Amino acid sequence: MEHSQPIYRKNLSLIITFMVLITISFIVAILLAYNFTKKYVENEFAADKIEVFERTIQPYTNFFQQGIPEISYYHGYLDSASADSYARRLIARYAFIEKVIFYDTEVSNWPIRDGIKARYFSVQPKAIYQIGHGVGKKASVIFTNKHPNTLSLKTADEFNKMAIKLSKYVESADTTQSPSPDETFATFYSIDANKISYLNVPRKEELAMFKKLMLSKQPKSPVFEKDMFTFYLNPKRLRLVNTRPELYQQLKIVPLVFEPLSTEGEQLSTDIALPGAFSGYKLYFSSSPAFLKTEIYHRFSPISGAILLIYAFLLLIAYLIYRNLLINKQLFKLQYDFINNLTHEFKTPLSVIKVAGNNIGNSSNLSHADRKRYATILDQEAEKLNTLMNKLLSFTQLENKSITWKTEHIMLADFCSAITHAFLLDKPGFKLSINIKGVAEIQSDPILLSSIFNNLMDNAYKYSPPDRQELAIGIKQQGDQVVFIFKDKGIGITKADSIHIFKKFYRIENKYNQQGSVGLGLAFCKELVNFMKGDITVKSQPGKGSTFIVSIPYTH
Amino acid sequence: MASIQMIRIVKQFFFFSLFAGLFACSGGGVVRQIPIEDFFKNPEKTAFKLSPDGQCIAYLQPYKNRLNIYVRKLDEEKVLRVSSGSDRNISNFYWANNQQILYLKDNDGDENRRLYAVNKDGTQTRLLIPETKVRVRIISADALQNNEVLLALNKRDSTIFDAYRLNIVTGVLKLVAQNTGTITDWMADAKGQLRLAMSNDGVNETILYRTTEAQSFKTLFTTNFKSSVRPIGFCPEKDCLYALSNRGRDKTALVEIDCRTGKEIRVIFSTENVDVSDAEYSTLHQKIRYATYTTWKSQRVFLDEESKRIFADLSKKLPATEIRLNSTNATEDKWIIRTFTDKNPGAFYLYQVKTKKLSQLAVINTAIKPIELCAMKAVSYTASDGQTLQGYLTLPKSNSPKNLPLVVLPHGGPGARNTWTYNAEVQFLANRGYAVFQVNYRGSTGYGKKFWTAGFKQWGKRSQHDITDGVHWLIKQGIVDPKRVGIYGFSFGGYSALWGLCFEPNLYACGASYSGLSNLFSYLKDIPPYYKPYRLMYEEMVGNPEADADYFRQVSPIFHTENIVAPLLVAQGARDSRVNSNETEQLVKQLRKRGISVTYLVKQKEGHLFRNEENRLDFYRHLEVFLAKHLQN
Repeated sequence: MEHSQPIYRKNLSLIITFMVLITISFIVAILLAYNFTKKYVENEFAADKIEVFERTIQPYTNFFQQGIPEISYYHGYLDSASADSYARRLIARYAFIEKVIFYDTEVSNWPIRDGIKARYFSVQPKAIYQIGHGVGKKASVIFTNKHPNTLSLKTADEFNKMAIKLSKYVESADTTQSPSPDETFATFYSIDANKISYLNVPRKEELAMFKKLMLSKQPKSPVFEKDMFTFYLNPKRLRLVNTRPELYQQLKIVPLVFEPLSTEGEQLSTDIALPGAFSGYKLYFSSSPAFLKTEIYHRFSPISGAILLIYAFLLLIAYLIYRNLLINKQLFKLQYDFINNLTHEFKTPLSVIKVAGNNIGNSSNLSHADRKRYATILDQEAEKLNTLMNKLLSFTQLENKSITWKTEHIMLADFCSAITHAFLLDKPGFKLSINIKGVAEIQSDPILLSSIFNNLMDNAYKYSPPDRQELAIGIKQQGDQVVFIFKDKGIGITKADSIHIFKKFYRIENKYNQQGSVGLGLAFCKELVNFMKGDITVKSQPGKGSTFIVSIPYTH
Repeated sequence: MASIQMIRIVKQFFFFSLFAGLFACSGGGVVRQIPIEDFFKNPEKTAFKLSPDGQCIAYLQPYKNRLNIYVRKLDEEKVLRVSSGSDRNISNFYWANNQQILYLKDNDGDENRRLYAVNKDGTQTRLLIPETKVRVRIISADALQNNEVLLALNKRDSTIFDAYRLNIVTGVLKLVAQNTGTITDWMADAKGQLRLAMSNDGVNETILYRTTEAQSFKTLFTTNFKSSVRPIGFCPEKDCLYALSNRGRDKTALVEIDCRTGKEIRVIFSTENVDVSDAEYSTLHQKIRYATYTTWKSQRVFLDEESKRIFADLSKKLPATEIRLNSTNATEDKWIIRTFTDKNPGAFYLYQVKTKKLSQLAVINTAIKPIELCAMKAVSYTASDGQTLQGYLTLPKSNSPKNLPLVVLPHGGPGARNTWTYNAEVQFLANRGYAVFQVNYRGSTGYGKKFWTAGFKQWGKRSQHDITDGVHWLIKQGIVDPKRVGIYGFSFGGYSALWGLCFEPNLYACGASYSGLSNLFSYLKDIPPYYKPYRLMYEEMVGNPEADADYFRQVSPIFHTENIVAPLLVAQGARDSRVNSNETEQLVKQLRKRGISVTYLVKQKEGHLFRNEENRLDFYRHLEVFLAKHLQN
């Protein structure tokens, strides 16, 4: 036992080390998780503006990629009414379009009063209309060539720019193929601050004719209809789509040169420039640190919860390991005690045998009475050893379930008188009474049953003070069970001990079992009863006595 | 797409379509999958024509996978190939005289067919009109007088065609009649004298006549383009003309017209329900042999005892099959006829009138076994507005006619009609297990003027609703699985497919557009310069792009791509002058951007209709895979 102590102490320190380590890990994990969450949220603040930007700019992209090129699908056939319905459809769909100017355009080689003429090639507005906010149900006419020379420079500006682009392109165009995407963008679009102009892309056959009209003097040509539009846009009217309201406290469209004022405090901010016609503006995102902190905690709480859960789980495992170690320690102690006792138990008869042997060897002539006495002593001690050996052996057999069940017809009265008679032979002062009620015979294994009787009677004898050596054995039928009650007036068993007394090698340490007990008796009884599919229980009051109750199935 | 005034152009087009159809077939047993090649490969031998003296036969046969001209003597087996084009099929040829053949062929799909001449022994191939920009229309090229072919050329002005006489031996080109600007077609008499001119100012058509070439043309009468007078030939009497006319009546009739007054002398033949579709004119006898009209299939009424006798004999020798007269020799005692049924592309025969001897010249498609093909049944249903419509339903062979996958196959035009005949596309689809539905929707020709004009400015409305009504009718009958309906068409049929996906998105599981137009604005914009005279007529038929801009936008799929949810197959010839390939590309881009599955097929060297066999086969292979993916279980 003294040797085992350091081993347990080591285990304990291991467990303590483990606990400390996981606690440190827990703290580190919590700290790291918080920092990562914080970094993550800050990174998202910087990166997710792309998503907000794309969603916000999506209508503009659609307008640019689908709304505007749609003009070309009309192939110059738009007039004031159809252009009006086209433009109104766009205005209704895209809030950022402020107004639309439609230039109903004619291309020919005729002499013209307004517009652009490049050599023989002339581009002139037939009429110019304004459609949009603040304009009535019908497109308002800004200019018509019925009143020549009334085209103001302001109105003509965009038209002239596009007409010159077209003329430049026609002059050098490769008319064997349609304009490439690059050429289309460079020639038929004009993108300025807050406005986009577009001229419907001519077909390659038309381009070939235009080129001919421009470069050589031709008879008066037919008039080719072209449609040109200028869209005036207002970036402030872009609908802001804050897809991450938890990240961005405030979104606004501000001029590109806008810088936040330092008095606004420590605001987190980022921005992204708007494309195309809105390039003078940027999308500006800002959040206060407190606002972001809310979001950080919001994300951190499930993570910290998970870490806490893992920590609790580790603690639980540590506790379970500790408990198992404790139980193992107790088991180890039981076995250690058993070997001690067993050694002791063997030692007594052996030393007696040894002394008797010495005495026989040393005495030159041994009287008949002495020889008889020594023979008895040797016989008795050998018998003790034998009993001990048998007990151990049968217990092992019982545990390994290697004994067989031999059922016999037992007359209880005969059986009891025989077994108590034998028991009382060397214990003349022991008061033993038997009371059999309601059952005369049973089917059972007499050897196993007598082992149970012997053990319980032995215990009653062993743990009774000399003045109260009494045992009352009662046998009765109770339902489908036969119950054997062994009631003594011995020292009794404490409640705490009574849980353990049926365990192997468990021995209550008191003056009655200083010798001759290995803590196997009751464990053996329990194994036997279990083997017989029965049950054994104990009721006891320390100092007053114990009652052992064995019940086995009643078969007859 | 075609007005009756444009019938010649259209006829050439259909002539080719017919070829495409002819050469396509092949058979399927109890649902043996007939290879695509068997349906759509170039014909083995076709377009048989007798020389004027009846001694030689010329025909088209593939050489290096392109149709070329072969010549053989009637009584000899030896065959000689006289052309060797390997880039394009020869689309049409003529016996100019007993020694020389004229033919038309375009280059690399530019849709401009050039005129060539070649001797019947294959020597002296020559391009007759070297100018590349000049378009050639044949006025009369068979059995020439003085080796002079009558042509209409847009040599002087790309928008108008003058009549010329070209000596194919000397190459001398003489102007015969200058186009006043609106003449769209010319006609010569049996002696090669140019005596009729058809003029069109865009809405009204005028027929001009002269008794001899020495005189100038005088107006005979003028009709609105909705009425049509189609000259067939001159009567034996002076100043008298046979014509198919619906002037003053709804259904076209065969009539005799007095060329001095322009008045109808008498109605030779008419029917109550359908137009008289054609009349066979004997140049030799200057009389009409028979008139044809198409109810659910083509019918014939004889106006000449000899023809009646001949056809009675032919029907006896070739029972249970359709018979068409293809060509004759100059003395009209040797006939080349062609047979066909719905399941059989048929064969060419030579019939000798005097001896009543019938000999087979060629089977059009030997790979087709009629027993493997499916019957084309005429069907009729009532549209949602009460109009009775006629169509055809071809059911696949092995299935009970319940819950079938359906391919709706609207015809092109829309000024055309489906009829009972061998159709390779229909048979191909039926062989692959689809029910095939064709319908003569409002705007189809052949059912009278009223029915035709009911499709005017209704391209995206009534004409399409008629198709939709037909599909609903089939679904109601339980023949068709409403979850497996696809729509596929060529040209206007392609437009119908796109329209269907846009505006009936719940009806169609997929659609395929082969050279389908997607934008009516472009369609009018793209009218080539030489079609300019028809512009006003187009505006009446299709609509005015300015006045009807809202309607155009409303029914043009390109403006409504966001409506399309079903998978789409688009096939486009890069050189198509009728359907703008840029816009088709735009359409595909917009759909793909939205994640709609689009199979896009562009053939660089093709025009409106894919003429090269490999391109045609490639298209049908894609169509097969596409339909299988979206319509089979």
